Amino acid sequence: MDLEFIISLIVQIVMIGVIAVALMTAFAAMVMVERKLLGRFTLRYGPNRVGKYGSLQIIADMFKLFFKEEVIPGHVERTVYLMAPGLALVPALMAFAVVPIAGAPFTLPFQIMGTPITINPWIANVNVGVLYILAIGSLGTYGVILGGWSSNNKYSLLGGLRTSAQMLSYELPMGLAMLSAILIVGSMQLTNIVEFQASYLGGFFWLILVQPVAFIVFYICALAEAGRSPFDLPETENELIAGFSTEYGGMKFGLFFAAEYVHMIVVSFIMATVFLGGWSGPFAQQAPFLGIGYLLIKVAFILFTMIWVRASIPRVRFDKLMKFCWKFLLPVSIANAAATALVLAVLFF
Amino acid sequence: MPIEIPTLNIAALTPFLAVTVTAFVVMFFELFVNDKRILGYLSLLGLAVAAISSVMLLGVSPAPAFQEMAISDGYALVLNLIFIVTAALSILISLSYLGDRALQRGEYYALLLFSTGGMMLMGAATDLIVVFMGLEIMSIALYVLAAFNRRKMGSGEAGMKYFILGAFASAFFLYGVALVYGATGSTNLSAIGNWFTSGGGDLTDPIALVGLSLLLVGFAFKIAAVPFQWWTPDVYQGAPTSVTAFMSVGAKAAGFAALVRLLMVSFGQAFTLDWQIAVAALAVVTMTGGNIAALAQKDIKRMLAFSSIAHAGYILVGVVPGTIDGVQAVLFYLMGYAFMNIGAFAVVAVLEHRVAISSAIEEYAGLAARKPLLAAAMLLFMVSLTGLPPFVGFWGKLYVFRAAVEANMSWLAVVGVINSAISAFYYLGVVVQMYMRPAAATEDGEEVVPISLSGPVTITLAVAVIITVILGIWPTPLVNLTSLAVFG
Amino acid sequence: MPFDPSQIPIVQIVFFVMTACAIGGAIGVVSSPNLFHSALYLVLSLFGVAGYYVLLSAGFLAVVQLMVYVGAIAILILFAIMFARRLMGQGENQNNQQWWLSLPIVMILFAVLVGVVNTVSWPVSGAEPTGDTVMELGHAFLGSYLIPFEVVSILLSVALIGGIFLAREKVEAEEA
Repeated sequence: MDLEFIISLIVQIVMIGVIAVALMTAFAAMVMVERKLLGRFTLRYGPNRVGKYGSLQIIADMFKLFFKEEVIPGHVERTVYLMAPGLALVPALMAFAVVPIAGAPFTLPFQIMGTPITINPWIANVNVGVLYILAIGSLGTYGVILGGWSSNNKYSLLGGLRTSAQMLSYELPMGLAMLSAILIVGSMQLTNIVEFQASYLGGFFWLILVQPVAFIVFYICALAEAGRSPFDLPETENELIAGFSTEYGGMKFGLFFAAEYVHMIVVSFIMATVFLGGWSGPFAQQAPFLGIGYLLIKVAFILFTMIWVRASIPRVRFDKLMKFCWKFLLPVSIANAAATALVLAVLFF
Repeated sequence: MPIEIPTLNIAALTPFLAVTVTAFVVMFFELFVNDKRILGYLSLLGLAVAAISSVMLLGVSPAPAFQEMAISDGYALVLNLIFIVTAALSILISLSYLGDRALQRGEYYALLLFSTGGMMLMGAATDLIVVFMGLEIMSIALYVLAAFNRRKMGSGEAGMKYFILGAFASAFFLYGVALVYGATGSTNLSAIGNWFTSGGGDLTDPIALVGLSLLLVGFAFKIAAVPFQWWTPDVYQGAPTSVTAFMSVGAKAAGFAALVRLLMVSFGQAFTLDWQIAVAALAVVTMTGGNIAALAQKDIKRMLAFSSIAHAGYILVGVVPGTIDGVQAVLFYLMGYAFMNIGAFAVVAVLEHRVAISSAIEEYAGLAARKPLLAAAMLLFMVSLTGLPPFVGFWGKLYVFRAAVEANMSWLAVVGVINSAISAFYYLGVVVQMYMRPAAATEDGEEVVPISLSGPVTITLAVAVIITVILGIWPTPLVNLTSLAVFG
Repeated sequence: MPFDPSQIPIVQIVFFVMTACAIGGAIGVVSSPNLFHSALYLVLSLFGVAGYYVLLSAGFLAVVQLMVYVGAIAILILFAIMFARRLMGQGENQNNQQWWLSLPIVMILFAVLVGVVNTVSWPVSGAEPTGDTVMELGHAFLGSYLIPFEVVSILLSVALIGGIFLAREKVEAEEA
């Protein structure tokens, strides 16, 4: 191991820290934005007491969560109970590792010990990126299941059961939707997927144009995977008294809460990368920082639609949810993948 | 990188494909057909196609198929015929046996065909991966078939036991595959053999031996050899009788199919002495253990289960010499065993039918007076299973033991003969019950339930009786057929 | 001796961590009295195996191991346990009366395996891992391993048909 390696390792660790902090900040901002937007959608003001236009509300909320008394109910299975919130949040953060946020590496304007520092616009550019995302996504289930089980409470258990069924089911069409996209690009590496989109039609060959069905399926599954409305059955307040998180309070609940939002943000990044051209846009190749901007605009739009959906569509019943997945989404995504393969085979062989 | 379409030689696997495709067709028609028995006849049709294609392929010189993964040599094709006979006879029993039990379902025939397909794959496989696939297809279908009678607790128990122990045995098998692969760098049977003979074996003796012994454990479970036989009596007793008939012959034959090919092709040159000792020991304890345990049985299905363990022991005697004569004797034995053993189970199935008689041996008392023909058929099967002339069982044992004697292992043949003598006690015990004991007196007002024979099972019985007798008197055709069984 | 960072054997450290996961998890599976905990240890063990795949430059296998075993099969196991057990399944004894019989057999098997594995010089392929394992795998599946690849679909169909048949709505048992 030489110096260069050590430095790149340190840079990498710093990057991971920066991204984690950025995502958590984005989570805080999202909570705020969501409350504001939901207020507007339902003809209310939303939070407007703390700070200008209620902009400091989230800080107040965070203080509340942090300084709440740590209560661990006596009947819970302690180790697993404490593990669960972390297990919910960490996979959500991990999935971000393969997302390329810009088209070219950045070179820092200074040197450390005579070595120029370049920062890759990704944390790990693995060649099975898409599979990595799906795999890490499936790990997110553990937090909810373990939380539900260890709470030793039948409502929480039901919440956990629902989650495991829901996540397992929606992973399948999600994977198949990704497959349709991969088939066109011919690579599972996210950088390749973006470059492919950037290199045709003047940088606007977004996969949503050729794979609209896959995009819609993916979008629906993303809502379900992140436990967002209308698929937020794991935590239904009215029937399961908040499901798996009933027995959690303070920052332990905060972590679950953060996990949901981080999951949603990360999945939006993935969607923007795979289907909406990622960082690509005019001059993004030449000026990498522009790429970050384009990506953020796309992500913001997707997040906005997710909140919009939450405000518009009521929660579905559990049996309908399963039926919808197995009897509609799955056949549609299989047909879409098969049709894609067939068309490609006819065109290129 | 353009995709190269590999040369497949699909023709070599026609019998397997015929059976598997028929299974899917059966599942498809299950949706529309009300009388599920039609599906049974459809399955028979598929088996007929498979049989015809097997016979036609016998005339063609064997060619490796699917990149050396499988082959349709004489050995595989003769085995195919054994599997087809087993499946066909079992389906005929099922057509009668299931009809009265509201069990007549398309899944049954489909699973039976899938299982047969798995067996064929095991016979044709020249790669350990394909052997494993065949093994699992066969086994998983059999687990479900054993538990098929969901109204009976015993059936569920049988399926569960078979499944858990079978999965355990599969794990041993896979561990063996992994070690052999680690030692030789290949899963192809002939490549493994070549590695050993080309001198690579010196370095890897111990690992290959451990791998081989783990593979032996996996196969010994499937053929129900002592000490891996514990599941057999419970599973045979609990499973529907038609399924018991099928797996007592089919699963055993398939286990032998892959085992013999592995021993002959991969380990035939380098480790002959090592595995001969192991297999001989296995044969001795299996024969003896099976026969002694069978003596104590009160239930005919359990008795036949232990007897099938003993028969596995006899067949192993034919494997020990490691000669092509021994292999052909094994195939002869298996083919004969298919007819006589399934025949015996057909009788059990008929009597169990409409709860006329349970499977307790005592209730067979006086059967000769009630149903002379059925009793005569049972007599014939029992005598043939004992190995007395002039039935096919005699020739089977003769050829197997002769192979051992010719390989200078006369002691093994002696043990076999002694065991056959022991087996006479329990086989003839059934005969004694049928012919020499009066039927238990019925209590007042209790009606004697009539024993009725319906069409399909009668065909099974007739075929089994005729073949057992004809091959007993004139075994040449079967000898000629098995002499085609050579490794390609 | 001054600290030399180039001497840190990163791969070995990762290997030992993964081994601790795999073996520790496996021991936990068989020794934990609580079925749910056993399932969690199983997850740990499977995770360790995924780590081995990464070390062997088999990224595809590692990710599939995570997705299939950790992400799906283990969750199904947890799912089944949550349905079938009392909420906090009390500890159950892992041993039956025959444990003393199996102990020597298992120990002999272990000793033999360890002895053999240590004495053998394993044939090592000198080939470098190829870059695009996904494409290599695809070609292998549709080339030399075509038949196992296709036959797996039959195996899965059999398992599906059988599973659905056995799990269908209950029929009342005729006899106990």
